[in-house]
This record gives sequence, C-alpha cells and structure tokens, in this order.
Amino acid sequence: MITTVTIFIPLLGAILMLFMPEDERLVRRTAMVVAAAPLLLALYIYFAHGSDLGAAQLTQELDWIPSLDIGYRVGLDGLGFGMFFLTALLTLIAVVASWDIRENTRQYFVMLFLAELGMLGVFAAQDLILFYVFFEITLIPMYLMVGIWGDENRKPAAIKFFIYTFLGSTTMLAGFLALGVLAETFSIESLNAGGGLGRTAQIAIAAPILFGLLVKVPAVPLHSWLLDVYVSSPTSTNVVLSGILPKLGTYGLIKIALPLLPQGVEPFLPIVAALGVVNIVYGAFVAFLQPDLKALVAYSSIGTLGFILLGAASADPVGMNGAVLQQVTHGLYSALLFVLVGVIASRTGTRSISELGGLAARMPWAGGLLALGALAAMGLPGLAVFVSEFMSIMGGYTTFPLAGALASLGIIFSAMYLLYMLARVIFGPIEKPAYEEITDAGPLEMVAVVPLAVLLVLLGIVPGILIGIQQPAVEALVSVLGGG
Amino acid sequence: MSYTGEAFLGLMPELISTAFLIAVLMVGVFAERSAGLVASLAALGALVTFVGTAVLLFIGFEGEFFGGGYVVDGFALYFKLIVSGSAFFAVLAAARWSSGTGDAAEYLMLILSVVLGAMLLVSMRDLFGIFLALELATIPSYAMVAFDRRRRESAEGGMKYLITGVIASSILLYGMVLIYGVAGSAQLPDIARAFSGSLTPVALIGLVLLISGFAFKVSAAPFHFWTPDAYQGAPTSAAAFLSVAPKAAIFGVLLRILLEGMPGAAPVWTVVMAFLSIVTMFVGNLFALRQRNVRRMLAYSSVAHSGYILAAFAALQGDAVPTGVQAVMIYSAAYAVMNMGAFLVIDLAGEEVKGYNGLFRTRPGLAISMGVFMAALVGLPPLSGFFGKAWVLLAGAQSGSGLVYVVVGAVVVNSVLSVPYYFGIIRNMFFEEPSGGETAGEGGFAVEFSVYTLAAATVIFALIVGPLAALAQASGLL
Repeated sequence: MITTVTIFIPLLGAILMLFMPEDERLVRRTAMVVAAAPLLLALYIYFAHGSDLGAAQLTQELDWIPSLDIGYRVGLDGLGFGMFFLTALLTLIAVVASWDIRENTRQYFVMLFLAELGMLGVFAAQDLILFYVFFEITLIPMYLMVGIWGDENRKPAAIKFFIYTFLGSTTMLAGFLALGVLAETFSIESLNAGGGLGRTAQIAIAAPILFGLLVKVPAVPLHSWLLDVYVSSPTSTNVVLSGILPKLGTYGLIKIALPLLPQGVEPFLPIVAALGVVNIVYGAFVAFLQPDLKALVAYSSIGTLGFILLGAASADPVGMNGAVLQQVTHGLYSALLFVLVGVIASRTGTRSISELGGLAARMPWAGGLLALGALAAMGLPGLAVFVSEFMSIMGGYTTFPLAGALASLGIIFSAMYLLYMLARVIFGPIEKPAYEEITDAGPLEMVAVVPLAVLLVLLGIVPGILIGIQQPAVEALVSVLGGG
Repeated sequence: MSYTGEAFLGLMPELISTAFLIAVLMVGVFAERSAGLVASLAALGALVTFVGTAVLLFIGFEGEFFGGGYVVDGFALYFKLIVSGSAFFAVLAAARWSSGTGDAAEYLMLILSVVLGAMLLVSMRDLFGIFLALELATIPSYAMVAFDRRRRESAEGGMKYLITGVIASSILLYGMVLIYGVAGSAQLPDIARAFSGSLTPVALIGLVLLISGFAFKVSAAPFHFWTPDAYQGAPTSAAAFLSVAPKAAIFGVLLRILLEGMPGAAPVWTVVMAFLSIVTMFVGNLFALRQRNVRRMLAYSSVAHSGYILAAFAALQGDAVPTGVQAVMIYSAAYAVMNMGAFLVIDLAGEEVKGYNGLFRTRPGLAISMGVFMAALVGLPPLSGFFGKAWVLLAGAQSGSGLVYVVVGAVVVNSVLSVPYYFGIIRNMFFEEPSGGETAGEGGFAVEFSVYTLAAATVIFALIVGPLAALAQASGLL
C-alpha cells in the first residue's frame, strides 16, 4: 500500500497544480512540498524495511486484465529501491532547480510530476505490462518539457528524442508480449528464470527487449538522439533526463532481461559488455572534443553509463552490485554537474569552455562543488562513483578480462578531459572582465546541489549503506544467472 | 423456432432504433421548427439503444432466430454497443450543425439508419442477409457524406464514395454469389462444410472477391482511394461516426464470416490478410505524413488503423484465434473513443494543421484533449490505443507463423512512422505561439461535451479494459 501511495502522490500533485492560482511563489512552494512527500516516504521505507529487500516487499496486487494474467503488481526490492529513492530525491531537486522556468511554471510542474509517476512506477513495477506502461508514461511529459521550455533548438530535439525512444520501447513491448503470452503470465515474479521457456524462444524474445533497452540507455551506436535533447533542455529537466531516464534502460536490463530470460540474454552478454566498453571509451573521447560545457557533461554521462552495462553483463556478484550501485551514483554526479553548469551559464551567459576561466575566484562554492562533481565523475577514491565503477570493472574483468582492462583505461581518459575542463573553467586567470562582477551560487542553488554532494561523499566513504540493501536481491539475481 | 417474447427481447436494440428512427423523421416533418427536439429525440434513441444492448449483454442473452440466419450473442451485442455508443456522440456533435442546415431530422435519421444497418449486420449469419444489412448501413452513409450543401467538397466526396461504394458492393455480391454456388447455401455453417479441405478455383475467386469487397468498405489499401475525399468533404460528425461505427461492425461481420463460414480456408485468407494489412499500414501512414489538412490526415490515419486491425485477422491461426478475435474487438472499442474524439475536435479548432498553433495557450482543455487523442492514436500507454495495439501484437506473437511475425514487425515500424504526423499537431498546439486568427469552428456545448467525455474515456480505458477483455473472451465466437 505504501508503495502505491508513494507512486501516486505525484499524480495528485499534478492534479493539484492544475488548480493552483497563478501565484509564482505559492506554486513553487506547493511543488516542493509535493515533491518532498515521496522522498520522505522512501526514507521511511529505507529505515523501516531496508534490511529486508531480497525479494519484492511492500507488495500490492490487483487484478487488471485477468484473462491474460496481467495485474497491477507493485513492490520494492533491492534492485529497484536505490533508483526509487533517487527518483524522489532528484525530482525534489529538479523542483528546486527550476529557477530557469519562468513561464507557465504550473504546467511545468504538472509535467514533472507526471514523469515522476512513471519513473517511480518503473522501479516498483512487478508486472511486465505495468512496467511498460510506467516506462512510457515518462515519454510525453519529457517530450513536452524539452519542447516547451528548452532552448531555440528544442523542437527537433524533442521529436528526435521521442521517436528514437518510442521505436526502442515499442520493439521492447513486442518482446514483452511474446514472453508473457508464451509463459501465460505477466507477473515478473512468476516469470523468474525464464517462465519455463526453452533456450531458442528466450533468445528470440531477448533480442527485441535488449534492443529497446539499449536505445533507452543509450548504448553508443544508438545514442544519436541524446546530445541534442540534453543540450536543449532546461537545467531542471536535465536533472531528471540524465539522472533517472537512462536508468529505465539499465534497470530493465537488470530487473527484466537478465533474470527473466537468463538463457536468452546469455549469448548477447559479450555484446552488451562490449557496448559498455565502447560507451566508456567513446564517451570519454568525444567529451574531450566538446566546446560546450553541457555537451561535455552529457558525453561524460554516456561514458559512465557504460560501467552499468559492463557490470550487469558480467553476471558476477561484484560486478552486478557495482552496476546496481552505479545507477544511483551516476544519477547523483550527473545531476550535480548539470545543475552547476546551469548555475555557471546563468551567471556568465555562456557555456563555451573556451570563454570561461577563473571562476573559482568569484564563485568558490559553485566552483568547488563543480570540482567535486568532476572528481567524482572520474572515479576518485573516496567518492561514490569510485566504488561502483571499481566494482563494475572488477566484475567485468572476472568475466571478460579484455573488456575490464579497456574499461579501466576509460577512467584514465575521463580523468584527462575532466581535469582539463576544471583547469580551464574553474582555475586559471579570469577570462573576461565581466566575470569580476559575478556572484556565487545563491542559497536556493546551494540547496539544490549540496544534498547531491553530501551523498556522493557519504556513499564514497560508507557504500555499505546502499550495497547492504541491494546485496540480497543481487545475490538472488546472480544465482538465477548461474554465475558467481 | 418461435417468434415469442424471446425474439422480441433479442431484437430489442434493433426495434428501439427503428422506432426512434421513425419518430425522428415524423417529428421532423410535423414540427418543422423544432431542431432541438429532433436532436434530443435522436440522442435519446441512440442512448436507449445503447442501454438496451447493455442490458442484453448483462443478462447474458443468447439466441438464434429466423432459421439460424440471425444470431444474438455476446459477440454481436459487443459490436452493437460500440455502434450505438458512437451514434450517441455523433448525434450530439451533429445537433447544432444540422439545425443550421434546416434538415436536421433527415440527417439525424440517416445516422440512426446506419446504426440499424450496422446492428443487423453483426447478427447476420447468412451471406445475403449480410449483404442487405451492409447496404442498409452504407446507403445512408453516402447521403451523410454529401449532406453539407454549403461546401462543394461534400458533394464531391459523397459522389466518389457512392461510386466506389457501389463498385465495392457489386464485387462483394459477386464473391458471395460464387461462394453460394460452391456451397449451395448462403448459411455460414453450410459454407463451412464446403470450404473445408482444398479450395476449388471458383471458391478461391469467391473468397478473394469477398475479401476485396470488404477491403473497400473498411478502406484497406489498395482499395482506400475514396477515404480521404469522403472524410474531407463529409460533415465532421459524419466522418467521425463513419470512421468508427460501421467500420467496427464490418470488421465484426468479417470475423464471423471467416471464422464461422470458412475456418477450413484459414491458411488462404490469413495470408491474404497479412499482405493486405502490411500494404494498408504503410500506405495509410506514408500518405498521412504529407497532409496539411487535419481531416485528410485523420482519413489516412484511419486507413492505417484498418491495417493494424487487419494484422489481427492475419494472426487468426493456431492457438492465436481467441486472442485475435479479442484483438479485433478491443481495438474497435479503443479506436471508437479516440478517433471520434479526434475528429470532433475539428469542429472546435478547425481543419488546418496550422490552425492548431498555440492552442495550449488559448484553449488548454481542448489542447490537452487533442493531445490525449493523438497520443492514443500513436499507441502510448495507458491510453486506449495502446491496448488495441498490444492485443494485436499478442495475437501475432501467439500465432507462431513466420509471415505474421513480419506483420508484427510492420506494426511496430508503422507505430513509429505515425509519430511525426500525430505529434506534429501536438507540437503545434504546445510549442508554437498562437497565430492570432481565430479559426474556431461551429462547435457549441454539445461538441465540447462529447470531446471531453471521449478524452476521459480514452484515458480511463485502462480501467475498463479488463472487463472488456473478459467480455470479448466470453463472446461466443470461438
């Protein structure tokens, strides 16, 4: 019940927003309260039930289409809880960071909350069709958020985003339906370990599902929609777009493709691992070439998503734990960087790396946190991303030694471009006289970024607080895969 | 066989609509200046027919009349529900427009006679009865399309529709005659006996002509040419109604003919349907992409949706038959709510794609409703169109035939292909600035009420799809 309540609070929030008066301050405050509610509930779930998430807990099941055994089935397990929590957190941060949304604020929050409904639902769904429904609910709000409130290139970016991900998800749906109809149920729990399907059938079904999920991530040859939409989005949309949406793909891989079709995905695992490495290396190289700070962060984000693919494809307990954790840590650092890029761009009026310089002198807090985020992104020990990337590489190395070795090279590449970016933007001489006048991040902006920074440090020092929760579920998953 | 109370009960929906049809005409003749009364009477007629059908469905009525030539089962009642329900909204949408023409009674009577024809159609179990009912449903629809005397396109569309419709009817009749010649009977169970085993050339030609005739009627490519002109010229309420109600009934009766009349020939007609479906989907979507007029766009979109439904026909083999039947039934209902809604918006916001610019700023409620219809037509969950498509894909996955997998692939590709034109409207409504020139159509309260009700139905379809599927499963057709 509490799961359902948490998922549907944003829907109530969206309806509430529709009926709010056009009072900017009131709208923002109400939105913050609405966004805080799922976060508080997620925290409560963490402390009350966190130790017991090996299999789905806090479940609820209602008949939906009984003739096909499709049901409204929700519940939380260790694989999804981290992202469930992060969704609630990043939505709140997106509400706080929505200072660049100046028109139609109410409608913006309606979209944001509808997207949150879908995202929370995905991480709690225990039924294939329900998973798909929640997966797709995010599409229209995100499309409208980019298309209405984005920059001048927003319209083509929004439709490109939509068409690509819709192609992926429709293909995935065909796979889901085939799986459900052949196994005669759509309950994820009953479908565990293949639902009695033979190897050939599993392979035929796994192919479309993997394609759909990899488009969503995006894995590199399928990524061309991503850059435009990331760069065109408003800051607060970026928080959700990079922090949560790619994880719909990776989580689908971990929660659905791997455990439900263990024999089917097995032949594809080397490909997924290879794509992970390609993401890591390609992301780092292309990020190096970006003149635009936001594009650099976007490619850095593609790069580090590769570690999730590698860790998940390793089917090794350590690697899988790393992948599940990396979903959360990636969300934390990329949201932090996108918000800070937004802060810097709003002060200096540019995102071009070559025009920025010496910001640390005028913006010690924003600059310092940007440095923290960049150091986290390159996997500096002591910060959260290090733990998850290291585990992913370890797992990857166990199963695919070459892929593991190449992935660790990726860390070095990412250190190169991130340090270069820091040196150029934060340190060095002040680039333009106008930058003498700029101010540091204000209190509201600090509220948006400090929780992320704190969590990055906290999870870096005591990763056990999250790994402990996901561990039982990961072990169950790996035992299905027959590895470890 | 007795013509007792049972027969009257089973024929109640038809009798009700006949009574109201006559009443509407009479009131129209004797009380000339009472367009409001006529419209309320027609709407009431559709509503009472709907309720009567629902009652029969609820009490689980089953019966055969007239020597087995007429059957009332869950399957037929389900389609009657769709027909009478959409007629209710068509009457509401037509109320104000038709009173402006001065011939409200005639126009509304035409709607009710299409309802009568379509309801008879899904219950017929005899080829010639089917032909008669089909003509009863289509002849008034020619007049409906040509009814708008103020617009020249209306007459043109009506003329094209009439000519192609007559040709289609003759092809259909020719096919039926050949089938009758082979089987020696026009009753579906007798035909089933003749159509088991391998087909004679005459039987094959009869089958192909029959399917071609029906393909005309449901605007499947390459027999779809009348559709864009007819829907562009027709009054909005006519286009909205004709694109969903008679079409649903025709798909229903085609299912009955194929499954009750020639299950033995399934290997032949599933292949025909597979190709028909693929061509129809691609033609519909590719032409829709080029349209700048919302009516024409929706006309081609309705061609594409016929293709999706035909994909379910292609899957009617092996274990997939029950699922395929359900797919057609659920798709028809899902399509009825979303497509009627989309057409009716034209009466409120105009027919030029550009006219939708900035609608979100000027009329947010209407823009959101249209957005819902467009997203549903694309097939996004949790809206109605998603469930239609999901069932088609389910049936395809179950059929276990390589050709059907190709059809399923084409459904997926076409869903994506259709995004640009549906979302072109969403883009104009939400992303563009209002263009200034108010292009608001001749809507009125009744049209707005219909649009919002249909939008709500499109959204809450997710909640009623469970019972609907149970209904379809227990429908009595296989």
